[in-house]
Amino acid sequence: MLIAMSIGVASVIIFTSLGEGAKNYVTREFSSLGTNLLIILPGRSETTGGPPPLLGQNPRDLTLEDAIALTKSSHIRYVAPITVGSAPVSYGEKEREVIILGSTPNIFEVRQLSTAQGEFLPEGDPSKGAAMCVIGHKLKKELFGNITPLGEWVRIGDRRFRIIGVLAKKGQSLGMDMSDVVIIPVASAQALFNTSALFRVMVQASGNKSIEKAKESIIRIIRERHDNEDDITIITQDALLSTFDRILTTLTLSIAGVAAISLLVAGILIMNVMLIAVSQRRSEIGLLKSIGATNSQVLGLFLVESALLSFTGALLGIIVSFIVIWVFMRMVPAFPVTIPVWGVSAAVGIALSAGIVFGIMPARRASMLNPVDALSRR
Amino acid sequence: MIRLNEISRVFTVGEEDVHALDRVTIDIAPGEYLAIMGPSGSGKSTLLNVIGLLDRPDYGEYYLDNVNTTELDDDRQAFIRRHRIGFVFQFFHLVPRLTATQNVELPLILAGVTPKERKERVKKALASMELTNRSDHRPDQLSGGQRQRVAIARAIIMEPGVILADEPTGNLDRTSGMEVMNILEGLNRKGITLIMVTHDPGLSKRAGRRIQMTDGRVSEDTGLR
Repeated sequence: MLIAMSIGVASVIIFTSLGEGAKNYVTREFSSLGTNLLIILPGRSETTGGPPPLLGQNPRDLTLEDAIALTKSSHIRYVAPITVGSAPVSYGEKEREVIILGSTPNIFEVRQLSTAQGEFLPEGDPSKGAAMCVIGHKLKKELFGNITPLGEWVRIGDRRFRIIGVLAKKGQSLGMDMSDVVIIPVASAQALFNTSALFRVMVQASGNKSIEKAKESIIRIIRERHDNEDDITIITQDALLSTFDRILTTLTLSIAGVAAISLLVAGILIMNVMLIAVSQRRSEIGLLKSIGATNSQVLGLFLVESALLSFTGALLGIIVSFIVIWVFMRMVPAFPVTIPVWGVSAAVGIALSAGIVFGIMPARRASMLNPVDALSRR
Repeated sequence: MIRLNEISRVFTVGEEDVHALDRVTIDIAPGEYLAIMGPSGSGKSTLLNVIGLLDRPDYGEYYLDNVNTTELDDDRQAFIRRHRIGFVFQFFHLVPRLTATQNVELPLILAGVTPKERKERVKKALASMELTNRSDHRPDQLSGGQRQRVAIARAIIMEPGVILADEPTGNLDRTSGMEVMNILEGLNRKGITLIMVTHDPGLSKRAGRRIQMTDGRVSEDTGLR
């Protein structure tokens, strides 16, 4: 019975913690992307918030000119056009195949990147490519070891670029490891990969409130430039985030609800234990009454007892859940599990109230016992 | 101080009404030593329970210290039990999980006496029962006579005016039974009213007044003035 109560409490706490952890994980992933972000994908996707269409006709590419045109909107602070490709990067004898991001200096703002050494790509006309690059932390380590790479020239594909900066360490963000990339000016990347299309355009709105307006103006500007066709998809970060948040909250609550039902079961068990206790201690109850205990004193006594029982169970449950979560954190350190205060307090609250509510009936029965019957044996 | 006036108590057994007490009228003066006798089913235990406010009569009035207790609610009755009446049972009714000290302490806890005062009074009571060296023993570590002495200590801890003893020696051997009787009679000499239910004619002869119960009625009362 104590075990049932502690299992109930422990599962409530564990499930809410995992739920909170999942929520934190998603939130962290998204915020490492930057804030107030809109992502423009070429092609029209009918489902909002879904993945970009992998197949299907792409009526018109997003071009660098489209991206530059977006900067005119007052609701948009930064525009970072992105071209992505993969190319071998070599320095001396060493060569690695890495992801090449072609962009503008704005990408550092939009994705909240910073450099460990050197500087970002210089501002300037984005349509003119310069032969300079910023490399990721991991790539620097693998190509250069501990030597400072600033000013060195690396070969990317069939071109040569001068290294002007190294990115500071930053974790994964949405599956892209920013430590293993090379960032070069967008025009250089377009030349390198021989394309005029952009992979996507990342836009940072001028503020939290102007995200919607930014979205509208993006649609308007692109429509004008694309012969009145809505052939882009815009994903807002907040929309994604809130969708995830809703899903995870629902999930957490429903699992916690299941766990709460197990607490109710524990409460019923407590009631049975207390009923047995009352019938076993009939003569004690009779004695208490004969030495002058009032009905309410007897009632209180048994209520306190069941409350103590459930409290002990809850305490055990808290200990068990903390151990489980600690082990879990040891095993999966990347997953940020936090024990939410509301989860713990809800679990303990439900446990205690179940103990007391289900203790009322046996306690009432005890207090209503007729002392004469209770004292006589059988 | 105890006045029973036309007290009746009716139990329904099956379809029959059994008169456990049938218009019983008794007056008991303070400090009396009263033995209630009678075969089983004669109503003597019911009479004791009514006097001890554990049972409510169906008819009649019961005055304790000039208070009509039949009109009081449960809580008031519990209060009178706590302060005016001490019970001694045949089966001791000690709480098995508690030590002698804690058992004696129970009425004081119910009455809300401070821990410090409780400790002193319990110590005194146990000493008067010659149980000081047994104070930390639980009931299963005590002999029958010792258990009954713990029960008596518990009964007198609130300094009641009346002690109700239901076959106090019924579960004891002769020696410890005599010991317990001597203690109870000693208390009676100090002015406590002692009312005892017993089967044993030898014991009842020691009492100053004897009441014989038959079929719920008082059939003989030696002390009626």
